[in-house]
Amino acid sequence: MSMTATAGRAHADPHHIGVVVEHPGPASKRIVTAYGFWVFLLSDIVMFSCFFAAYAVLHGQTAGGPSGAEIFEQRNVAIETVCLLLSSFTCGMASIAADVRNRFWFYLGMTVTCVLGLIFLAIEFREFADLIARGYGPTRSAFLSSFFSLVGCHGLHVSAGVLWLLTMMAQVFAKGFRADVLRRMMCFALFWHALDIIWVGVFSVVYLLGSAA
Amino acid sequence: MLGKLDWSAIPFDQPIPLAAGGVVLVAILAVLIWVVVKGHLPYLWDEWITSVDHKRIGVMYILLASVMLLRGGSDAIMMRIQQAVAFQSQGYLPPEHYNQIFSAHGTIMIFFVAMPFVIGLMNLIVPLQLGVRDVAFPTLNSVGFWLTATGALLVNVSLVVGEFARTGWLAFPPLSGLSYSPGVGVDYYAWSLQISGVGTLVAGINLVTTVLKLRTRGMNYLRMPMFCWTTLASNLLIVAAFPILTATLAMLLLDRYLGFHFFTNEAGGNVMMFMNLIWAWGHPEVYILVLPAFGIFSEVVSTFSGKALFGYRSMVLATMAICVVSFMVWLHHFFTMGAGPNVNAIFGIASMIIAIPTGVKIYNWLFTMYGGRIRFATPMLWSVGFMVTFIIGGLTGVLVAVPPADFMLHNSMFLVAHFHNVIIGGVLFGAFAGFEYWFPKAFGFRLDERWGKAAFWFTFTGFWVTFMPLYIAGMLGMTRRLQHYDVAAWRPWMIVAVIGMAVLSIGVICQIMQLVVSIRNREALRDRTGDPWDGRSLEWATSSPPPVFNFAFHPDVRGEDAYWDMKVRAQQQSLEHEDPEYHDIEMPRNSPTGFVCAFFATIMGFALIWHIWWMVILGGLGAFATFVVFAWRDHDEYVIPAEEVARIDRVNLEERRSLVSMAGAI
Amino acid sequence: MTDQTHIHGERDLAPGQDEQHSVGERILGYVVGLALALLLTATSFFIAGTDLVWQPSIPVALIVLAIAQMGVHLVFFLHITTGPDNTNNVLALAFGLLVVFLVVGGTVWIMSNLNANMPPMDQIMMRQ
Repeated sequence: MSMTATAGRAHADPHHIGVVVEHPGPASKRIVTAYGFWVFLLSDIVMFSCFFAAYAVLHGQTAGGPSGAEIFEQRNVAIETVCLLLSSFTCGMASIAADVRNRFWFYLGMTVTCVLGLIFLAIEFREFADLIARGYGPTRSAFLSSFFSLVGCHGLHVSAGVLWLLTMMAQVFAKGFRADVLRRMMCFALFWHALDIIWVGVFSVVYLLGSAA
Repeated sequence: MLGKLDWSAIPFDQPIPLAAGGVVLVAILAVLIWVVVKGHLPYLWDEWITSVDHKRIGVMYILLASVMLLRGGSDAIMMRIQQAVAFQSQGYLPPEHYNQIFSAHGTIMIFFVAMPFVIGLMNLIVPLQLGVRDVAFPTLNSVGFWLTATGALLVNVSLVVGEFARTGWLAFPPLSGLSYSPGVGVDYYAWSLQISGVGTLVAGINLVTTVLKLRTRGMNYLRMPMFCWTTLASNLLIVAAFPILTATLAMLLLDRYLGFHFFTNEAGGNVMMFMNLIWAWGHPEVYILVLPAFGIFSEVVSTFSGKALFGYRSMVLATMAICVVSFMVWLHHFFTMGAGPNVNAIFGIASMIIAIPTGVKIYNWLFTMYGGRIRFATPMLWSVGFMVTFIIGGLTGVLVAVPPADFMLHNSMFLVAHFHNVIIGGVLFGAFAGFEYWFPKAFGFRLDERWGKAAFWFTFTGFWVTFMPLYIAGMLGMTRRLQHYDVAAWRPWMIVAVIGMAVLSIGVICQIMQLVVSIRNREALRDRTGDPWDGRSLEWATSSPPPVFNFAFHPDVRGEDAYWDMKVRAQQQSLEHEDPEYHDIEMPRNSPTGFVCAFFATIMGFALIWHIWWMVILGGLGAFATFVVFAWRDHDEYVIPAEEVARIDRVNLEERRSLVSMAGAI
Repeated sequence: MTDQTHIHGERDLAPGQDEQHSVGERILGYVVGLALALLLTATSFFIAGTDLVWQPSIPVALIVLAIAQMGVHLVFFLHITTGPDNTNNVLALAFGLLVVFLVVGGTVWIMSNLNANMPPMDQIMMRQ
């Protein structure tokens, strides 16, 4: 009788409003790990926000050098964007495969993610090398300094992500889908998706706004 | 092969740093030799260096802070003496050396004294107060500590190898740029802060996650002890503010190493952006330090008044309000640098607003004491001394929050007096209060009260005699960081200040004596009950020192002041419980990851400072390999069998029952 | 603290965790997210290069599209939702976004104010 009453009330009050809910105790390791990593990602986003702020302040300071509209190539940026978006998708597929412990789809998803990430890095590297070769390196003007730092910082994160991805694959190969490996996989997926979110900010603010203005 | 490093880096022509460095080196070697000869090395390695126990890591943080306090304190004494003698003369410190001293003093006191001290106390106490067995990420905790130690090490290496920054503790460009500071001083500064900053960030993430995700049963948010709330707020600020410091210093380093133009005067760089960004970190940093101190005072005042904290909910609200508003005031550090009246006015008002929640806290502590049965033990003395001192610091703070007043007082000795007033009177007094209060919990014996009280009175008096004259000197127009001066009116105040410094030093000596005397008399001072102060929160519910697993059972919390509540209930009910059923406990295994990682970070930092590129790569690879090895290990936990848990817990229970029954008899 | 012990009454989800659904539903979620993100990206690139729309609206449109796409990523890839089990994750995100907003907005505001009040010497010359 009392059980049905409780169940009924819980149903009518799904958010437990007006009920003092006793804290159930320490959370499981999976939740603790992912939450800690989530907090780290937020701090990483704050760090990026400083580079965004610096770019916003300095983007007009070309010191006689080129402006954004003169050096950005939208076609390259579009390819980079699609690469990262697709890699986010394949990374999601790989993490689903890891959850259901399917090695084939896990390796496939991670490999495609890795290849897409490398393509992204290659395009970015070529863009940077090309700019430096034309004399438009980061030392040319404050605008270029902030541009190279912001985009380069994202690129460094992607590189670190690729390194992590390869380590992850090696670990699954050596250890299988252990609980701690799965937790790390969850963190990696969060990291990779967050990089994509930052890239949305980069291509919108730097490349699209920069060439529109 | 060795980059910029050669024999000219060792300052053979400067006796003071060389002698100081020599003495420290000899002392370290002597300690090392003693440790090895006595055979303590395995103990140190197994029980401390590789430990992932939050209590041990907390103690090591506090030890680091105490040693660095002596280093930063020596700098302070040297500066006070210099300003007392350098009237119409050069004094005894040449300018380039004096500039290094005040830069090192600020850097060390903030990053390697105040930060590790409060982080150490949080590490030590918060899991105990939450009623859990460990922090969220035990191994990362160790990594964070050792990276902080790396930063401290690099700053101190600069004493002997090369030089430290001459730019002040925030290294403003263009002075800190390559054209005006071509030496390695700024690089030492920036890399040691980058490395220790990573350590601080790790500690912040760890403690935020611990408070939000690891609480014992029934420990709802509004039942957490005040110290846990301030820990949460402070670490949220760490997580949000330290990335700003990292980014800003990264930009400065890019300017210096690769010729970027963020903060240069050429090619469109903007020096003002450095002030803006560094203070966007710098102001929250102040609250990162002082919020945990507020938490400590809340615990101490409520315990030693024998009352629950007055206005608990308003205190929580005030803490979280400070947490948010502290991100909206940073411009008040550079009112004078050319912003318009609208900007200055808004940040001025925000700076005054943030004084309100702080005032709420002061009233809450006063009302907690009101009508309480107050015991003036040493922690309580520090707390009352804090209230008296901090109010003056807070009021002068509101004064400089008014832009027109700030235009008069900016960069004067008045400002120096103000921030020492809040940091010593707030953070340091808080750290000492926490140290005295929780020392019995960490080591199982109380500290000597006589020496403790002497330390308090000397420090308190010394503080006032040192810093009140600086307010006056500032009013008389004396600016900060003067190596010598010619104004006769300032001289008397500088002499009073140096006398105050002497009194303050006696306070420090008393503190050391207190430790020595207490360790000698530790049997007499032994705390057998685990509850030496008649405490109110869960850290007192376990033995002193706590077993490695903290609690045999996760305590069940039913209200605020969880342990007080338990004691009251235990007195009402019968004390005769049947023996509970113990279970195996899994604890994280020790790991050298933190130490090894910091070893490579030290190599990498040193190599970056001296442009030894092959060594940079070596250090980076080493650090990565360390993490891979850590990720590859198969057993990350060990089991403490139920019988062992039972044996340890029963001893504690016996002591506690006898205590409660004695109290009941009275 | 172990993964095996399921604590009774846990009302908490890890960020990125989405366990109530079957594999098919989860894949579908990613597909929908990918489609939406691609659509928004394409719109952004189209708007930036076109003169079909009123030019001054372009920066605003780009920023709105960027925020919308970030939202899509958060919901479909990171599974940050408004459910009660996600409160802590959302609160942390809100705090982070507040700080990002304050840092970027404050910096731009302060620096433009400083530039307006204290322009470099050559600009002062130009005004006279």
